[in-house]
Amino acid sequence: MSLEAIFQLCTKAALAGWIVLLASPLAPTLADRISGLLIPALLAVAYSGLVLAFWSRAEGGFDNLPKFVRLFSQPEIALAGWMHYLAFDLFVGAWEVRTARAEHIPFIVVIPCLLLTFLFGPAGYLAFSGLRVARAMTPLARTASLQS
Amino acid sequence: MTVDVFGARQRSGNFSFAAEVFRREPLYAGAALCLAALIAPTLVAMTLDGRTLAGVNVWLKPLRFEVALTIYLATLAWFADWLPQGVTTTRWYRIYSGCVVLAVAAEIIWIAGAASLGIASHFNEGSPMLAWTYRFMGALAVLLTSSALVYGILIFRNRHSRLDPAFKLSIGLGLVLTFVLTAAVAGYMANSGGHFIGRSSINAPGAPLVGWARDRGDLRVPHFFATHAMHFIPGFGFLAALALPRAVASRAVIDFSVVYAVFVSYTFGEALMGKPFFAVLPCIACTKF
Repeated sequence: MSLEAIFQLCTKAALAGWIVLLASPLAPTLADRISGLLIPALLAVAYSGLVLAFWSRAEGGFDNLPKFVRLFSQPEIALAGWMHYLAFDLFVGAWEVRTARAEHIPFIVVIPCLLLTFLFGPAGYLAFSGLRVARAMTPLARTASLQS
Repeated sequence: MTVDVFGARQRSGNFSFAAEVFRREPLYAGAALCLAALIAPTLVAMTLDGRTLAGVNVWLKPLRFEVALTIYLATLAWFADWLPQGVTTTRWYRIYSGCVVLAVAAEIIWIAGAASLGIASHFNEGSPMLAWTYRFMGALAVLLTSSALVYGILIFRNRHSRLDPAFKLSIGLGLVLTFVLTAAVAGYMANSGGHFIGRSSINAPGAPLVGWARDRGDLRVPHFFATHAMHFIPGFGFLAALALPRAVASRAVIDFSVVYAVFVSYTFGEALMGKPFFAVLPCIACTKF
């Protein structure tokens, strides 16, 4: 299998995981198993395989920016890095959906956080965390979630 | 006659092999599961990595060790049910089994690490460091194989065993022979600088899965059969306990074990003489692949 094929396959798998998350209110448990466990695990297998095969031969490193850039100028390592994003972003997305459900946060306000996490991982995490803090500090929202 | 292979729980209905193995020996079962989980990324690495070592993909060897050690630990976890009651909770056992699992982990890290660097793990005398590591790993291999010996003796000496005597004898003999025969064959192999004996004439690829040479001696053949005594002999013992009268079943197990040990010695001698294992078979295996 070529690197390009792996890139396409993994990107599509992650995309499918995000679509499942968006549809998660329909089947929460199944969605969590697919997007929080199965697809991240498959991406992790592909990632681990890439690292096993190419890491020891890679040039560059994490000690300074030029070395880091050199590391990711190699297609195999860049692909592994991309899979790292795909797997962890999706995992965080699934966590947001789970947490929102447990804390009775309406799904409609989770959707923007999911989109943000999908596109710009940490920014989405920040938005979701902000949402949780805001709700925790609002007495009305707290009573509402207790009642529901 | 009762041959209690699955334990009493099987009859209770929803039987799960994984749950049963975890109940019998959680540490070995967990280690087996972790090893099995390594198989998938190793397969991915094998399809992506074009590097070869001695003519085969560098990841083939880690893959074989992952599969073999998964089977080894899962088998021991299965057999753990027939250890004397309470052994697995004793202090010495927990320290010992912990050391066995650490030795397995070290072997896999060493073999996979060498593969990722594209160098040989075994028989590598390329630098003092590598040669030293190879010897140290040999000692750890003896340690991890010794668990078969310890299990064999403990199961054999268990007076309160629920097992059929012939089956119990076959497990004891199989496990002890696994250790004794493996230590002999692998010990010799480790000191002979490589597993091939003789020169390759046709440069044919090895047998499927196991990779044994078809045109010269290969010490991995006796190693395989030596190590799998713990499967073949209890397998025979299980059938003997079911099919034969109690009076002759144990005798049959002993006879089979002797024949098996002779067979392992024969494959060892054959490899030492530089002859391929498949020469003895009616050469279907050699021509087909």
